[in-house]
Amino acid sequence: MQRTLLFETFRFSIIFLIIALTLVPTLWMVSMAFKPIQEWSASGGDLTWWPKNPTLDNFRFIFGESSSELIVALERGAGRPILASLLSATFGTLIAMVAGTTAAYGLSRFNSGRNLPLALIQLRLFPPMAVMIPVMIMWAFLGLTDTWWGLALIYGIVTLPFAFWLMKTFFDDMPREIEDAALVEGCSRFRVFLKITLPMMRPALASSALFVFILNWSDYLIALLLTTRDWVTIPVYMASLSSSMTGQLYGAKAALGLIAAIPPVVMGIAIQKHLVRGLTFGALKE
Amino acid sequence: MTQITLENLGKNFGSFTALAGMNLTIADGEFVALLGPSGCGKSTTMNMVAGMLQPSTGSISFDGRDMGNVPMARRGVGFVFQNYAIFTHMTVRENLAYGPKAQGMGSAEVTKRVEEIASLLQLGSMLDRRSGGLSVNILQRLAIGRSAIVEPAIFLLDEPLSNVDAAFRAVMRTELKQLQRQFKQTMVYVTHDQLEAMTMADRIAVMDHGKLLQVGTPLEVYNNPADTFVARFIGSPGMNLIDGEISKSDKTTMVDLKQFGSFGPVPDAVLGKLKSSDGKVIFGFRPEMVELDSNGSLKMPVNFVERIGARTLLHLGDPDDSIKITVSNHEPVPKQGEVAQFTIPPQAARYFDPQTGNVLRGEA
Amino acid sequence: MTTHTSTIETVDKKAGGREANLGLWLTLPTQLLVVFIAVFPILMQLYISLTDWSPLDGIQWWRAWELWNTFANYTDLAADSQFWGAVGRTFLIMAICVPVEFLLGLGLAILFVDNFPGRKILYSVLLVPMMVVPAVAGYMFYMLFQSGGPVNDLLSIFVGYPVRIAWLSDPTLALFAIIVADIWQWTPLMFLVLLAGLVGVPEDQQQAATLLGASWTRRFFTIVLPRMKAIIIIALAIRVIENFKIFDTLFIMTNGGPGVATETISVYIYKITQQDLIWGYVAAIALAILIVLSLVSVFAIKLIASKEQAS
Repeated sequence: MQRTLLFETFRFSIIFLIIALTLVPTLWMVSMAFKPIQEWSASGGDLTWWPKNPTLDNFRFIFGESSSELIVALERGAGRPILASLLSATFGTLIAMVAGTTAAYGLSRFNSGRNLPLALIQLRLFPPMAVMIPVMIMWAFLGLTDTWWGLALIYGIVTLPFAFWLMKTFFDDMPREIEDAALVEGCSRFRVFLKITLPMMRPALASSALFVFILNWSDYLIALLLTTRDWVTIPVYMASLSSSMTGQLYGAKAALGLIAAIPPVVMGIAIQKHLVRGLTFGALKE
Repeated sequence: MTQITLENLGKNFGSFTALAGMNLTIADGEFVALLGPSGCGKSTTMNMVAGMLQPSTGSISFDGRDMGNVPMARRGVGFVFQNYAIFTHMTVRENLAYGPKAQGMGSAEVTKRVEEIASLLQLGSMLDRRSGGLSVNILQRLAIGRSAIVEPAIFLLDEPLSNVDAAFRAVMRTELKQLQRQFKQTMVYVTHDQLEAMTMADRIAVMDHGKLLQVGTPLEVYNNPADTFVARFIGSPGMNLIDGEISKSDKTTMVDLKQFGSFGPVPDAVLGKLKSSDGKVIFGFRPEMVELDSNGSLKMPVNFVERIGARTLLHLGDPDDSIKITVSNHEPVPKQGEVAQFTIPPQAARYFDPQTGNVLRGEA
Repeated sequence: MTTHTSTIETVDKKAGGREANLGLWLTLPTQLLVVFIAVFPILMQLYISLTDWSPLDGIQWWRAWELWNTFANYTDLAADSQFWGAVGRTFLIMAICVPVEFLLGLGLAILFVDNFPGRKILYSVLLVPMMVVPAVAGYMFYMLFQSGGPVNDLLSIFVGYPVRIAWLSDPTLALFAIIVADIWQWTPLMFLVLLAGLVGVPEDQQQAATLLGASWTRRFFTIVLPRMKAIIIIALAIRVIENFKIFDTLFIMTNGGPGVATETISVYIYKITQQDLIWGYVAAIALAILIVLSLVSVFAIKLIASKEQAS
């Protein structure tokens, strides 16, 4: 493309328009999180885009402190849902990564489990909604309903395809000479995997784990169906941030939404380089 | 058919100077090779001629017309890329027709031209094949045909043989030279392989570190290198260069080559050109310009004997920086560990200034 | 000498056997998880789908045969207008979202393909929506589209008088709001994948086309797009698959409402699972969807494979 002034002007105006459209909803939530109740909506007068009287009340409120502005107090604070989200997403990631990495290595080096690539893609293809009845029955039977470990198990399975495919492409890319050299030295295959391959793959493992964690952390539907009270996760808990007296507690929701949004955004930017690979099941490596 | 003139051409990338002060005129229908190691500025020159890069200084003109503001699409330059840049998702026919179609030619005219060029290049039988799986010499012909079909004023070729294996390179060289004879087009050929330049080009422009060092016919460049770089770069192996010192005795002036002996007489013209007063000089000669002679004034220990068929290559002196000479197999060849004694005909001796590296020419 | 070679051979064989075993052990956990989540539940689902069972019946699921109704659930499904309405809406949303996301993503990718000052940071900013938790994005857009919210406020500035549109209570506008949210969240994915594709188009091919006199448009349609075909198919496939499952943002913004105006397949299944609790019927729907999707995916994979072989 010729680099004319006209083109550059066009390019930057379009990009800034899109950036504005991208950021406005997010910034609105940020601003909402720091607004006192009077500024939540325009129904009381003018809409304020930026908090006139910034406050941390919303954050205090969701962690159980009563606020003078909000007459209501929460029955349960956001601490436990945050813990539920953390535990289920972390251990779900652990399950997916352990199973996915070992299986990917088995396929990449020993050509075992040749059915897995397609089976796992199909697993991803199906809407979770379409297998939830048996899962709900099984989870109830196994006593896993409304527990963080029950959620972790299903998260691990749901994100297993990503962990497997990502690690498979990373293993396929890794030169085998180093492993061969260690084998010649007399190490056993499994020892080579543990002591040579995995340490070398540390960056790949980290990127894959972060990618899988983002997916697990982002779940709403599964938690909605499999948790009821004790271990509801952040997105499910957010629905309860309303009361009959005040209606929707926008500020509280925004504050919690902000807390929920920050980890995946930070992690996502950190693993930017591998996002394409993850999202396309390794078909595209940037 | 165009004459290309480069005037004081230069290119900087930030603080890095890729090319400086290049002056070169390429005549109509001439085949010029830009030769040099990677990073010497030859590709930069070529890309500026094609219009892919804007010069930082100087100008490029085709037949006297300045190309400064002419975009690459309208320069009428045919470009053959290193890996040919064939549109592999198209058939051979679609590749050939790409240029005429892009320039808005009628479909009857396009078909006619495609047929013509295909028969010229013997591509007729494979017009409807996908170009993806074709062999490399066909890709080369196709790449040239695709450019030639729009009748470009000049042809630029960017190391087209560098991805070809050595055995096939000779075939491709011959074919390329024949194609050039057919098209009678001005061609600029970029390469780092001195053999390609020597065998194909009418004239060779040797470049290094963003500077044009010498322009001349292959024989000129080979026989009379302008400096030590050209001397070493051209030829395989390149010219031998030995540090020496001028020593004057009552009768003749000799160049003293320390443990290797001495050579002389040094022509007066060379002595006249010599600027430094310490008498230091670089003495050069081509490996094949020696005669084994048991009375020769030069003697060096043989550390390696390399038999290369009809001739034998002897590595002499210091193994890390050896002097190489080629001798005929018809005469007895000294063995490893023995001392080779030889002479050089006076007209084959070259002298260079050790400070500048420039040749100290006997004549002129 | 002979004994020596044979020893090496036995050692090699043993090692080979051990290697194959190790491969099996390494893949075993994943295989078991696949069986656990796919094979067993699907058989269970098939069984329940042939009954009238509901968790409210007070009998365990394996005794569901007491309520056997053969294919009644499937015939009901064929006549379930609410289900087919949801199917229609799911595809309507997909038919709008995916092309818009594709075109916007491609346009942005074109603007980002060569370097310019600030490219890196703007690129990162553009990816943010994709990483926001979808449920959170749902709440965000829920707030934005309130009648006293900022969308109306912005519109008021443009038209000059106060706008008080109840976006999420109007059947058409609610659907529009949902589509906007989906486009906001997932255009970055298209952008990311298509940009990777664009960058991968060999530069010398484009230069060759330019030197032959091709305009930017001609180059784009004859060189760039054909070269990106596989990547475009991948990008579209990802979005079609994910958009088909659309639930989180939509459910939070509208609950499928007003009425059934934004009810998609996932929302419909959720409602009859959680509210009506007719699980025999849900199992039938779910299984039908699984079967259709499997057939479509097998067909699609075969089609792509045969095309790849042809080229």
